[in-house]
Amino acid sequence: MLSRIPSRCAVVGPSFRRGLATEATTASSQQPSPSQLPSEPAKKPSRPHIKTAIILNRSPILTRTPTAFEKAYYSYQARIRRALHNPFPYEFYFKQGTLLETRFNLEERKRERLAFGPGFLEKEDISEEKRQANIAAVEQLAQQEGEGEELMPRQHEADIKNDQKSLDRMGQRNLYLVVQVTENGKDIWRFPQGDVEKGQLLHQAAQKNLLAVCGDKMDTWIVGRAPVGVHKPEPQSDSPESVIFFHKAHIMAGQVVADGKNIKDFRWLSYQEIRDTVEPSYWESIKDILSEF
Amino acid sequence: MSQVSRKAKGFSLTRFQRAPRINRALARHPKTGLPQPPVKIVTREFAPCRLEDHYHTTLKDDLMYMTYTHEIGERRAPRQIRLKFDPEDPYSKYRKNPPVGGSQVGKKPAPPSTPENIVRLEKIQLHTMVKEATANKSHLLPAIMQLKALSGESYKAGGRHAVEGIQIIRGKKSVGGWVRPGIPIGAKVDLKGQAMYDFLGTLTEFVLPRLRDFNGVVLPPQSSSSNTPSTVAGVVSFGLPPSAIGFFPQIEVNIDAYPKLSGMHIHFVTNATGIGAQDRARALVSGFQVPFVRR
Repeated sequence: MLSRIPSRCAVVGPSFRRGLATEATTASSQQPSPSQLPSEPAKKPSRPHIKTAIILNRSPILTRTPTAFEKAYYSYQARIRRALHNPFPYEFYFKQGTLLETRFNLEERKRERLAFGPGFLEKEDISEEKRQANIAAVEQLAQQEGEGEELMPRQHEADIKNDQKSLDRMGQRNLYLVVQVTENGKDIWRFPQGDVEKGQLLHQAAQKNLLAVCGDKMDTWIVGRAPVGVHKPEPQSDSPESVIFFHKAHIMAGQVVADGKNIKDFRWLSYQEIRDTVEPSYWESIKDILSEF
Repeated sequence: MSQVSRKAKGFSLTRFQRAPRINRALARHPKTGLPQPPVKIVTREFAPCRLEDHYHTTLKDDLMYMTYTHEIGERRAPRQIRLKFDPEDPYSKYRKNPPVGGSQVGKKPAPPSTPENIVRLEKIQLHTMVKEATANKSHLLPAIMQLKALSGESYKAGGRHAVEGIQIIRGKKSVGGWVRPGIPIGAKVDLKGQAMYDFLGTLTEFVLPRLRDFNGVVLPPQSSSSNTPSTVAGVVSFGLPPSAIGFFPQIEVNIDAYPKLSGMHIHFVTNATGIGAQDRARALVSGFQVPFVRR
């Protein structure tokens, strides 16, 4: 829908090459001095090597736990709302004398008591036996409806074990996939990346490389067609300059498979953990793309 | 200290102290007779909002990447092709001055992409028209109650002057045998903030999955014009039939109380403007799991 516009696709083509070769054009347009010509033949600067990397994101799967201040604020606002709300139309929602109405009244009294204290409530004008019978009936109803099931804990097992390969860890945070590879005889952590073939669109190459590096056992979606960031590694003495374009993607299902050939290991890390894991120069390029929380 | 922590653990609502004793009788509102507090009381967010968090943690970044248009430098001013209206000129002073080349509404360019104008949801409007209300306006009552149950909004609720609650729509034109100006014919309600996200959550989790033969909101064909006023206004709309209204849990709980359910239009109003605004609005709304399909 949005990416129908072709100009937003980044094609590896002549336009990009021309932009980087400007220096060479100006150099060749100058009048070469005769003394330079035989010794140094006009050297064509090599084309930069283009790569794509995927920032694979696991979005938060839990709501954020409110801070103590937020909790106090919310409870204060909830009490104001409770104090100011319009009268509840009981007769519209409940038939007179039904169990559902009794339950609602009991729960409502409990909530009022919680909000404004025991002194606020008016005394019920029913006998003690009747009150106990009501409570028993409501409890029975709750049992029939299977209420009172325990909620899942907000801290997953993976958090306790600090299992950095699990997608269930840190449910409230944004997690990103980093992989371990050997580059120039050194083990480093970085985002999964790969080369771009000639004529291939960047986002297509990114999708292909992700599958090639991390296996096809996961369901992912790449956000848009345009890259979200760029990193230029320091050029090695012999190899040509290279440029890495980052694409953002989301993981929907599945998990990465580390085959040991392309990647040695993988981890799902938060912003702060990535800062301590990757190379400082790499971090400078990616730190503004990632969510801090 | 221990008392405070015990309290905080045991109760979800934390009470700090008892409410102040009221020494003097409060002034009464002359019309309603209700006691008026000496200060203006406004209620704000009373619970964390899941979908709003989802927008800020996930959707906002993605929408920025998807809708970003790169521009270098400032935009050039639009070309002036004919003399502008000059109020000093006695010839043009009292003459009509239509824009050159017809209406420019659909050709308005989108504002430059900035972090401030990433597309966001401003409000959701629910709107229902009850045809029978032309004959007897009491037919509007179930529709009003339905909107009330769905939105929970009332006039100036929570001390907020901008909350208008359920509004009655009156006829504007005279259409023979149908509408007369001034007669009540429908009802609408604007949802903003937390109420808006709550409604959106209910819609996408309880209602849309339970609709039969609903694959998604139908998109216009690809060949349709891209510069009509509606495509540059950043509003996404669709309708729900009366049979779908019963799937809302607020209605379902006492569906017998409604003599007749009426279908409604849902308008998602976003801040997107200019060319392609409706596409950007759809991208946002689909991020909240409202499906779209193309026929």
